[in-house]
Amino acid sequence: MSDRAEIVRVDDLVKDVRPGFGLRKKRILEGISFRVREREIFGFIGPNGAGKTTTLKVLMGLIRATSGQASILGHDVSEITFRRQIGFLPEQPYFYDYLTGREILRFYAKLSGVSQESRERRVAELLELVGLTAASNTRLRSYSKGMLQRIGVAQALVHDPQVVFLDEPMSGLDPVGRKEVRDIILRLRDEGKTIFMNTHILSDVEMVCDRVAIIVSGRIRYEGAIDEFLDAGEPEADLVFANLPAETAAQLEESFAARLRGHGDRIELRIAEKDSSAVLRLALDAGAVVISATPHRVSLESIFLSTVNEADAEGDPQ
Amino acid sequence: MHSACWQKRGWLRVGLLLAAIATTGFAHSRFETRSRVELGQLQVPSPDYVKLWSLGFDAAIADYYWLRAIGVVGAEEGAVEEQGEVLADLIDLVTTVDPWVGHPYRFAAVWLTRDREMVERGNRLLERAISYHPLDWRNRYHLGFNYFYYLDEQMRAADLLEGAIGLEGAPGYLAPLVARLRSKRGGLQVAAAFLVQMIESTEDSYKKAEYLKAVDEIQIEERARFLDDARVEYWRRNGGDIEQVSDLLAGPKPVLQRLPRAQLHLDGFEWILDPESGQIVSSYYGSRYQLHESQADRSRKQEWRELGEGAEAEGA
Amino acid sequence: MIGRIWAMAINTAREAIRNKLLYTLLFFALAMMLFGTILSALSYVDRERMVQDFAFASIRLFSVAIAVFVGVGLIHKEVERRTVYTILSKPLSRAEFLIGKYTGLVLIIWLQVVIMALFFSGVSLLLGAPLGFTHLAALILTAVELALVVALATLFSSFTTPLLASFFSCGIWLAGHLTRDLRDHGASSASALVREGTAWMHRILPDLESFNLSIEAAHQLPVAASDIWFPALYGAGYVAVILAFAVMIFERRDFR
Repeated sequence: MSDRAEIVRVDDLVKDVRPGFGLRKKRILEGISFRVREREIFGFIGPNGAGKTTTLKVLMGLIRATSGQASILGHDVSEITFRRQIGFLPEQPYFYDYLTGREILRFYAKLSGVSQESRERRVAELLELVGLTAASNTRLRSYSKGMLQRIGVAQALVHDPQVVFLDEPMSGLDPVGRKEVRDIILRLRDEGKTIFMNTHILSDVEMVCDRVAIIVSGRIRYEGAIDEFLDAGEPEADLVFANLPAETAAQLEESFAARLRGHGDRIELRIAEKDSSAVLRLALDAGAVVISATPHRVSLESIFLSTVNEADAEGDPQ
Repeated sequence: MHSACWQKRGWLRVGLLLAAIATTGFAHSRFETRSRVELGQLQVPSPDYVKLWSLGFDAAIADYYWLRAIGVVGAEEGAVEEQGEVLADLIDLVTTVDPWVGHPYRFAAVWLTRDREMVERGNRLLERAISYHPLDWRNRYHLGFNYFYYLDEQMRAADLLEGAIGLEGAPGYLAPLVARLRSKRGGLQVAAAFLVQMIESTEDSYKKAEYLKAVDEIQIEERARFLDDARVEYWRRNGGDIEQVSDLLAGPKPVLQRLPRAQLHLDGFEWILDPESGQIVSSYYGSRYQLHESQADRSRKQEWRELGEGAEAEGA
Repeated sequence: MIGRIWAMAINTAREAIRNKLLYTLLFFALAMMLFGTILSALSYVDRERMVQDFAFASIRLFSVAIAVFVGVGLIHKEVERRTVYTILSKPLSRAEFLIGKYTGLVLIIWLQVVIMALFFSGVSLLLGAPLGFTHLAALILTAVELALVVALATLFSSFTTPLLASFFSCGIWLAGHLTRDLRDHGASSASALVREGTAWMHRILPDLESFNLSIEAAHQLPVAASDIWFPALYGAGYVAVILAFAVMIFERRDFR
């Protein structure tokens, strides 16, 4: 995995801002570094205000870093021409609402240097891809939020970029819309694109991302493959029984370090996955009825929360 | 029930609207709405100030103040006499902002006749006109007329008219007029010739009527002079003066077959002997014409004198 | 580069065309021309010329209004509505973006000057008033002045709110028309500070009186070619300088 080419390199990025005229400078990125490699879906996650969007804006050249380097495809982000190779969907994108869906895509295609011959075809393809063909001649003024998000995805892809940067691509969408965007992202990876995605919706990250970086208060707290991240620690399983005698339960608690929780007449046990056969045998012998047996996945959320809490505890003096 | 409620509210609204209109109208009738021109309170800003702030709208601003100047003259009879300064200021403003205008200069010159000072202001404007339109004979002509007619400076007038000779559109009689002015002869004919041209060149009907009257009076004066000659002849033939003008026709040795009209357009006026001066005068005018002094001008000169005496009295 | 600037310009022009303010002001300008026609009937001389003078003044007044009030929102609105995010992520430099926006608005303002000029010509022909080269010259220089005003509005729009930007733009427009006279008045001042101050103001601020041929147009006075091309060149140079400053400011901005 690490032998793949580095598409995005961020080294020791620092950003200071002055919140207002005459106010003291505040450091919002405290020297962050990470890599995004070819053909991966990279999730950049963190709580609100952690610096996700700031980092992305530095990458897009919308904000200048105070110090540090950031490059995409080997080009410093202050350069212009390499942007032919990248697409960007900002958070809650706004577009010229006096244009129709088709007009705006044509405009972005022109800006991105899509040749005249292929422009109309590309625009039609993307309208089809995001399911806006029917609304293509309607002005954006009357588009719903979900439709705007989809036009946003389309404009990010209209020039067939190699790398796509998405800021909260699923926020503000209904479940169907989220699934559609998710499908588009996965399809892009299949086409060999690299995707960088800011998000705080962890279930989406779990479903699509290959690698993640967690940013908290302007610092990277974790960077790595999502499987490694989730596999940290011993796998566990949840077993739910009915009619489990109390003495058997006590025995299981003692010998397998099972954690018990009562649900009316049912009892849920969390045990190490390797012990599940032994536990099941004992319980069945004692006359219990098995309701369910599921492997317990460590949720990204719990890891995320513990990372954030750790950072809070060790870090900021407030 | 519901609609009745709506209806009631509708009437209330109409009532409120009518009340508001009535209040507005009432209030508007209760304060001064005459324009500043009518009130004689027109404040003319300084030409330099307007020129500074014209912001590239020079031509339109000049036009606007020109319209105001017309408003001053048109406001009411005699307004120009009272508001000569305002008119002079306005035209000064117009011609400072847009010195290339043509007519306003002469408009000002024609109207600025109330007193010597006004005539001189008019002349200054005409001098500006000549500097911007050196080839336009009319400005020189008006300036010459002012010098001859109001300021009684024949030589100055002759110089100005001489400059106009041969310019495009200049009438042919300018040259003889200049010659006459130079020779200091034929004052009456010069005045008449001047006036006739003024009548031709002015668009203003009020001013035109004034000049026409002056021309009429000059004609009557010429007849009076003719009667003076007849009177001398009468004396020669009869060895004594007439006792009344009709003696010229009667008596043992009459000198005339009939008397000319004493008024060109109106009946009922006759030639009489002025008891004060003993001169033959038309009963219409009551006195003899003096050069540059038509009836209209006499009252003006009277005013000038009074003003002058007033000023002297103040000075003393 | 030209292609991207042009795409930006066309899009800006399209935005302006779909801006209701433009039509309102255009309507008022035409109404003013009509009003001028009525007003000039009060005069008994030079009526046709006065109609032309008022029409010409309307063209300038409303074009400057459009230039300022549309111009001040030009960049600010893009940033405020965050449309700038997606655009600047494309292979388009900030300079191209800004110059494109500027060009688009100038094109639209010139277009509406052309529309009003056609109206002006129509009215002139109808009244039998003379139409001459000087009118064209005056319109050309008015167009240059408008390009300069749009540049000013763009400059201020690149770093401040539309309200402040319109104050600044109007202020400089006013000052630009005053500096020449102020310098002349100042030259006779006893104070060296006033003399030098007014002289420098005239040198630094745009000398907008250079583009004023209203009197010449009104009276069809002869205008030397150099009195058109040198002011036009001056205006073009000034626009370039202002846009350079605007680009410099705009390039330093963080879009947070």
